[in-house]
Amino acid sequence: MTRPDRRDAGQIRALHCVLGQLSRADGSAQFAAGDSSVLCGVYGPVDVRVYDEKLDRAHIEVKLRPATGLPNTKDKWTESVIRSTFEREILCHLHPRTLVQINVQVRQDDGAVEAAAINAATLALVDAGIPLRTMVAAATCAVLPGGAIVVDPTLEEAAGAQSVHTFAFGGDTAGGPLHVDSRGDFAMDEYNACYDICATTAERVLAFMRSAVEGKIAKEALLVGAS
Amino acid sequence: MANTGPVTFAIEAFKRIHPVEFQRRFLSQETRHDGRAFGQFRETHVAKGTVSTAQGSSTVRIGDTTVVCGIKAEVSEPDVKTPDEGYLVTNVDLSPMCSARFRAGPPSESAQVASEHVFRLFNQNVVDLKELCIESGQAVWVLSADIVCLRHDGNILDAAIVALMAALEDLKLPQAKIESGVVSADKSTGRPLALRRRLFPATYTLVDDAYLVADADDAEEQLATASVLVVVDERGRVANVWKRGAGPISRQSISQCVDVATGRVPKMAEVLDAAGGQ
Repeated sequence: MTRPDRRDAGQIRALHCVLGQLSRADGSAQFAAGDSSVLCGVYGPVDVRVYDEKLDRAHIEVKLRPATGLPNTKDKWTESVIRSTFEREILCHLHPRTLVQINVQVRQDDGAVEAAAINAATLALVDAGIPLRTMVAAATCAVLPGGAIVVDPTLEEAAGAQSVHTFAFGGDTAGGPLHVDSRGDFAMDEYNACYDICATTAERVLAFMRSAVEGKIAKEALLVGAS
Repeated sequence: MANTGPVTFAIEAFKRIHPVEFQRRFLSQETRHDGRAFGQFRETHVAKGTVSTAQGSSTVRIGDTTVVCGIKAEVSEPDVKTPDEGYLVTNVDLSPMCSARFRAGPPSESAQVASEHVFRLFNQNVVDLKELCIESGQAVWVLSADIVCLRHDGNILDAAIVALMAALEDLKLPQAKIESGVVSADKSTGRPLALRRRLFPATYTLVDDAYLVADADDAEEQLATASVLVVVDERGRVANVWKRGAGPISRQSISQCVDVATGRVPKMAEVLDAAGGQ
């Protein structure tokens, strides 16, 4: 089987990330998988509106802007997914009565943009120094009409797929998924196969994100040493 | 003198003052505050054709949660990119009427998320948009499905999905024809819409991080840390698994949820069939 971009079924697109690109945000990251690219900026902990203030923990707000046009209900759905995924992983109780704002800007959407947004948010939160329980990584795969499973589908592949599955995991993939969204027409065997593929993919993405963070910290340490 | 004896107060007061502890007392004893077992769903009641002015409608009750769904069919021009496809528009309305937690004004995030999720489940998966074509490139049907919650007692998404399913089965599309650019529809005759599959939802909620309960009501949803929505169809295929919230629900529990949801299908299909209609 050949995919439109000549990848193997189990091959993800080239990952690319840049940390701390935005100078005004407390932390930022750009995460790209092939032509899907997402920029995320995090402010926090900052002042919270009285209405949202929580006495025992930080309030988390997610704002997502699509690549083109104004945010619509589709983006609201993604916002709620990102917020519910990170609600537990951010150690909110360490910063009571504050706000952690996660701003996501989709730069280019070529499929699996929700997974890219979650990955970008993890990197931006790490970059901002927000205490996290674990780093979160997400992956997407699709079951094509013939039954073949392809990982990290492009927009074109996802549109023609039988079902599309997105999973997000914490650092330990054995501990159960943080977020699951499987939709389409599928059997549980296919779901389980996709689960396994996404779990291994998420582990790889996580390793990539770790090395990116380590690289940035090493560079900063060098700068501090030189001055 | 300090009061050292045990504090006693009415159960209603306890429930209001300390809802978490109130629920825990039940859950730790493997039961729930309304007497249900963990895996027990509330009874679903469906009535079709309850709104006479709509082309398709239904009223669904799951326990005390009540929703009404009305589908209005209107004629519109198709999108240039898809000249032979109609539109499905879903809207879930959670107004202050159904619960004190909702405010008047623009739709809340939860209402928007519910609308969007229901739309993704039904658009093309259940409703074949090509069926809504009157004349390619000229005129198509727009199905506006309004799902209004009258009483909110938890599990609104299941109720919305059942209501939309029932309303679509109740739908009668008027016979429309196009003559010299004008569409005329005869409302007295209608054809039912062919649907691709029948969806049956089941929601499980993780309460207080430890107890996975089926079909949580409003009081239990307040303590929810995660929930899984499972949607299966009549052939035993899965249409959606959606886990929200970061509370721990293991892979095995999700599989069990799907098994139970599949097992419920014959009973739920009976409820939908018995709902009758126009």
